[in-house]
Amino acid sequence: MNKYFSSDKIKYVFYTVSHPVDGYYWIRHSDKGSVPLAIVLVILFSFSFSFNRLFSSFVVNEIDPRTVDSLIELGGVLLLFVLLCVSNWSVTCLMQGEGRLKDIAIAIGYSTVPFIVAMNLATIVSLYIADGEEAFYYLILVVGIAYGLIMMLLGIMQVHNYSLAKTLLTLILTLVAAFIIIFIGLLLVDLMNKIYSFFYSIYIELVFRV
Amino acid sequence: MGLSRKFKQMVLLFVAFINVLGPSSVALANQLPYDTYNYNFYEDIVYTPAAYVPSGSISGTQLIYEGESLGVLSNPQDICKTPSGNIVIADTGNHRIIILNKDMTKVIKVIKDFNNMNELDSFMSPYGVCVSKKNELYIADTFNNRIVVLDQDYNLVKIIKDPTSEILEDGYVFSPLKVSVDYADRIYCIAQNMFEGIMVFENTGDFIGFIGTIEVEISLWEKFWKRVATKEERSNQRLFIPTEFTGIDIDDDGFVYASNIDEGGEQAIRRLNPRGQDVIKKGENENLGGDLWSIGFSKYAGASQITDVVYRQKGMYSLLDRKRGRIFTYDHEGNLLYIFGGLGTQAGTFVTPVAIENIGDTIIVLDAYRAEILTFTETEYGSLINNAVALRYDGDETEAVELWRKVLTLDENNELAYVGIGKAYLSSGDYENAMDYLRKGMNSEFYSIAFRRYRNEVLKENMNFLLTGGVILVIAIVAGRRIYRKKKGLAKEEGLLNE
Repeated sequence: MNKYFSSDKIKYVFYTVSHPVDGYYWIRHSDKGSVPLAIVLVILFSFSFSFNRLFSSFVVNEIDPRTVDSLIELGGVLLLFVLLCVSNWSVTCLMQGEGRLKDIAIAIGYSTVPFIVAMNLATIVSLYIADGEEAFYYLILVVGIAYGLIMMLLGIMQVHNYSLAKTLLTLILTLVAAFIIIFIGLLLVDLMNKIYSFFYSIYIELVFRV
Repeated sequence: MGLSRKFKQMVLLFVAFINVLGPSSVALANQLPYDTYNYNFYEDIVYTPAAYVPSGSISGTQLIYEGESLGVLSNPQDICKTPSGNIVIADTGNHRIIILNKDMTKVIKVIKDFNNMNELDSFMSPYGVCVSKKNELYIADTFNNRIVVLDQDYNLVKIIKDPTSEILEDGYVFSPLKVSVDYADRIYCIAQNMFEGIMVFENTGDFIGFIGTIEVEISLWEKFWKRVATKEERSNQRLFIPTEFTGIDIDDDGFVYASNIDEGGEQAIRRLNPRGQDVIKKGENENLGGDLWSIGFSKYAGASQITDVVYRQKGMYSLLDRKRGRIFTYDHEGNLLYIFGGLGTQAGTFVTPVAIENIGDTIIVLDAYRAEILTFTETEYGSLINNAVALRYDGDETEAVELWRKVLTLDENNELAYVGIGKAYLSSGDYENAMDYLRKGMNSEFYSIAFRRYRNEVLKENMNFLLTGGVILVIAIVAGRRIYRKKKGLAKEEGLLNE
């Protein structure tokens, strides 16, 4: 346990946020990151996302709090996280990417830190603003999200040792791969349903006849 | 003894329990043949108490005129009220105009014909009627292609027909459907197949022009398809013509309220100033089209089809929807106040509602298929809202607070009531309460005003502490840093020495 959440590892998250290029380089090359920590950050991000939707002031927030379910959103975010990691890994391992699945997970997980900070900060700020001052709220959000996206990009670039152009290309391919995974997943679910209903109908038939 | 008392108590409790949970609420719902609801900030449906309840219906057969029954009305199309409160009905299918007294119990007059230059002239399917301030009766005599004006003794004043103008096509056939008159006896007329707007006539009967043309909006997508389509396909597509107006009413200041059928369900009512510009105010959700939720493919789905409008008082107006038989009432700020009414064959529901009119605290609706006038009287809930809105229209927000509080005891989801109370607190300077109520009413505009003032107040009160605290903090940080550096420097020196 301590191996994954030691204070060195936690401090290294902040080092990565302030020095993304170096930080991700050493994550790849000397095991400075921690996957469990990345997963915890993703979970924190999901909760901050729900928190923002639930509690930001109604001056900026038009979402009915009754429609927000943080657990469902957690499931969605985790699923998206796994999907992104797997599809990126499946693309980059064919394109001379040096990163392991572990590194990709860390790169994406650590880059949610700006999202977490910005969303919580913006939520709190939203409680102290009036109509016409929404710019502050959106500024915080936009800066946070932009920084997080840049971090994600740099992270993927560093762990695979790619150029920027190649990173962007692989990112587009990652999206394609993600769609393929979703498609196959749905196909599989449908097939399973059919098989299940087939055996279920045999069972019903047996129950009625025997 | 003790046991029997206990038993009695139990029975009482049981009865009370049943009364609270069971039949009473169900019975109340059963009494009303329709749902009453409203939309909240999130545009969700919120069920409300009924603002108006059905109180009866008047059909032709129960009315007696000159010793004879009026008989069944045939496809009546319009009602209006005279300045003295009498009701005028256009009994279209029977080619006659019927005038009833205020309570709609007696027939004052049935007009089948009139004296036109010493000849007996009659109507041909009159679709619309209207009474001016001077008690003159304006009849849209549709199939005779004219508007007939009668004075209060039902003698002919003038006939308006064959409008001529450069802007009218040659061979244009004038078939007036609805007619309305303002304080200066200008005539506003909705005519069949006239898509350019409402036709306006001078009090002499000369055609002046159109007002309130509804502009057609063609989306980029539709433009794209137009371009792609061949000539043949194009000729088969529906034309992009503006919708016709359906109903018309004029308020005391001469502004024209005109309803139209909006397929998008966004704006089904226009308030036209004398220059013909739309000056209606829209509420928070920018919608004046009746129902907000109308998704689906059934016959019952789709945007509300507003067929008539009545201006009531103090800026309030009600729209009549023929799609789902609803009556929507808005205030002068465009807030939806309450919704009631429904389609059906039960008493108090409509089949084909065509016209709406307001008499005192009752709303009457003319149903063409049922050939009946249905009346609705306001409940306590409805009258509280009506009065509160009227007070607000006059600027007495503080007086309205009492009424809004009563509204809240009947319906604690009423956002307008919260906003009403919040605004009163705001103007009396109690910003904390104002913020609380305005937040409950989800009115971000006024909430922000209250919040800004509250924030300034708090800042003003605590400015001394804040500034002093800030200065102290800065000094402390600077001093602390110096001390820290000194110590560090010493340590470094020591470290160097050690090395």
